Amino acid sequence: MTDLLTREEYRALAAKLDFPTSAFIDGGYRPAQSGKTFATVNPATGETLAEIASCGAEDVDFAVLKAREAFEDGRWSKMHPSERKDILIRFAKLLTRNRRELAVMESLDSGKTIYDCETVDIPETIHCLKWHAEAIDKIYDQVSPASDEHIAMIVREPVGVVGLVLPWNFPLLMLAWKIGPALAAGCSVVVKPAEETSLTALRVAELAAEAGIPRGVLNVVPGTGPDVGEPLGRHMDVDMISFTGSTETGRRFLRYSADSNLKEVVLEMGGKNPSVVLKDAENLDRIAAHIVNGAFWNMGENCSASSRLIVEEEVKEPLLERIYAHAREWTMGDPLDPEHRVGALVSAEHYGKVCSYLETGAKVLMGGKAHDGAFVEPTILEAPADSSVAREEIFGPVLNVLTVKGFDDAIELANSTEYGLAASIFTANTKRALRGARAIRAGTVTVNCFGEGDISTPFGGFKQSGFGGRDNSLSAHDQYTQIKTIWIDLSDDGDEAVG
Amino acid sequence: MTFEGIYTPVVTPYDDDGNVVWDALEKVIDHLVDSGVHGLISGGSTGENYTQTVEERLELARFTQEKLSGRLPLIIGTGTMRTPDSIALAEGGAKLGADALLVATPPYAVPTERENALNVLTIDRAANLPIMLYNYPGRMGVNMGEEFLDRVGRSRNVCAIKESSGDINRVHLLARDYPHIQMSCGMDDQALEFFAWGARSWVCAGSNFLPHEHVALYEACAVKGDFSKGRRIMSAMMPLMRVLEQGGKFIQCVKHGVAMTGLYSGPPRPPLKALNKDDKRQLEQVIRVLKSTIDDITAGA
Repeated sequence: MTDLLTREEYRALAAKLDFPTSAFIDGGYRPAQSGKTFATVNPATGETLAEIASCGAEDVDFAVLKAREAFEDGRWSKMHPSERKDILIRFAKLLTRNRRELAVMESLDSGKTIYDCETVDIPETIHCLKWHAEAIDKIYDQVSPASDEHIAMIVREPVGVVGLVLPWNFPLLMLAWKIGPALAAGCSVVVKPAEETSLTALRVAELAAEAGIPRGVLNVVPGTGPDVGEPLGRHMDVDMISFTGSTETGRRFLRYSADSNLKEVVLEMGGKNPSVVLKDAENLDRIAAHIVNGAFWNMGENCSASSRLIVEEEVKEPLLERIYAHAREWTMGDPLDPEHRVGALVSAEHYGKVCSYLETGAKVLMGGKAHDGAFVEPTILEAPADSSVAREEIFGPVLNVLTVKGFDDAIELANSTEYGLAASIFTANTKRALRGARAIRAGTVTVNCFGEGDISTPFGGFKQSGFGGRDNSLSAHDQYTQIKTIWIDLSDDGDEAVG
Repeated sequence: MTFEGIYTPVVTPYDDDGNVVWDALEKVIDHLVDSGVHGLISGGSTGENYTQTVEERLELARFTQEKLSGRLPLIIGTGTMRTPDSIALAEGGAKLGADALLVATPPYAVPTERENALNVLTIDRAANLPIMLYNYPGRMGVNMGEEFLDRVGRSRNVCAIKESSGDINRVHLLARDYPHIQMSCGMDDQALEFFAWGARSWVCAGSNFLPHEHVALYEACAVKGDFSKGRRIMSAMMPLMRVLEQGGKFIQCVKHGVAMTGLYSGPPRPPLKALNKDDKRQLEQVIRVLKSTIDDITAGA
């Protein structure tokens, strides 16, 4: 990207930032009713950036009340679709106008590199909102095939008040993945950003209000899981929860739903995603680039990160040589330096968790060191398939290498996980590529590349990676609507009338 | 910060030449502390802030803080025509260790809600102290409306609002849509209504001379939730409220009320003039009846 600024310029921007610190409810910023706050920290430096409202059940109740009022009076839910589209497009434009501020804020709050924020997170966020906005007035309902005696209409209606619970790894992009389709569908939303990364969601809410999204429709309630997430999950007047995060927390939301009003729950959770490289794969250099990107992008803090390399033994050594060469180009350090591709892990706590995997005794092929309580080198380990490194989601820049003897072996190993979010397969043989893609039990399988598809394709998992819906594409829109059948009798049949 | 109880905007005792009588002010402060009010406000309109320079106001605030020496929380009024003056008062307040600021709309300018909100945030940034907003459209010409309230929410220092519009719809709006902003009664004749809607504090000039009676209403309504007793106390207070709120001689009455307690308060600064004999007699009569009635109620009659 040619329009990246210098490190000094980013630092100057960072010094001038005005951080939002209050919850955003009913069209305005509000401190927590308890007056409590928590510190949000720049993980790269350990500095406190701001003291943020630490909301509780009473703030959740208030946000839901206001979201419900907005939904029921139809100020957004019943607005003409093309009007909703115009406002969401204006919203996307405002994000574009403020993209630098948002990129720097995101980098400071999450430890992500400014390079990723500027080239991936912010453009994708804007693109996502625009895509769903543009879809609003182009989705048609249906009329079913039926006799002349009746008409059956199948119409979509917004679900209602939706709780959106976000992870810390893509604070802005996951916000867009959820509010894009939810607002497009006409829902009112209460967003709970991750405690570690609340800043950009709060700022975005202000921009949404400026764009004309009516008060009460988009609320952001920062706070901890027990204080905000649980009350939201247990709320009797929340119609649906869309959650992205850990499998353990996902289970809790199912329980909350069962214990309260049986609200719909959509879960997008962990992954332990394989990259399968068969011996007939072409262009190992390019494959190495994809694997390095898949494993280390966003410091590996990515549920679709390819954290398991499953390679046929014939190509293992030449592939690893190329992977080392590519990984060397991923320099690590100050996230605000646009030269850096690897920034800080999100928090000291998470750093500790990732480091614990480096101390399991697994054979280190590359990297393996950690610095300053925040930075973990891109690391390649070789640990057996039954080890914790090979089985558990590390959510850090750690790739584990597993060697196999053939196609069937590779597929079996790829599937030997409780997760099923994403996978890649590299081969020049089309039949094997397709057979492999079908055989691997995952929501997204990429062939000869690493990726998640894009906004036009559904994203979500099999098995314990999630269920209930898909992010991205029109499937995302569907998950925030429910289907209603309207059955109309057209018959003029006097015989059946009584009396 | 949580505001609970009776907050007294302290009168400023002057001599006939308009000089502050410091000894008298100290006695008023001590009297208020001993009477059980819950906090003091220096530099409010009851203290005749509109007749004082920024330096005088800071001196008064410093003196009050010194004499209080931590016995009660102190709120500093920052209302002025000029934003730089308000900033100076806010900064001065922070330096002398005030507990909170009372931040009003600048009179006469008639700012838009956005302008008014940005003004509050500017003053807030200068001091970083808890803030009680002061909505008094009758004197400022504008209301602190929803756009204003939404915008000032950017700062978590904005904790409370002293509502002096007299418009009961504002009480409903604040109670229902802005539960994070503590509502403080600033309209004496509506105190009962404020307490019914959950207000926990009352900024009342009358507590300069009737602290026990104001505390009695607060305790009945806000502490014990005994609104039938509260209604009887309020009813006994209404004649005074009429004189104060609707008589057109607010400061003059308050100062005379203070004089009736045996403390010196002196005349108001120009353009106001002290009460004439008839006004004094009427006020004395109202206060006498009020005190004996409330004594009876609180004694369990």
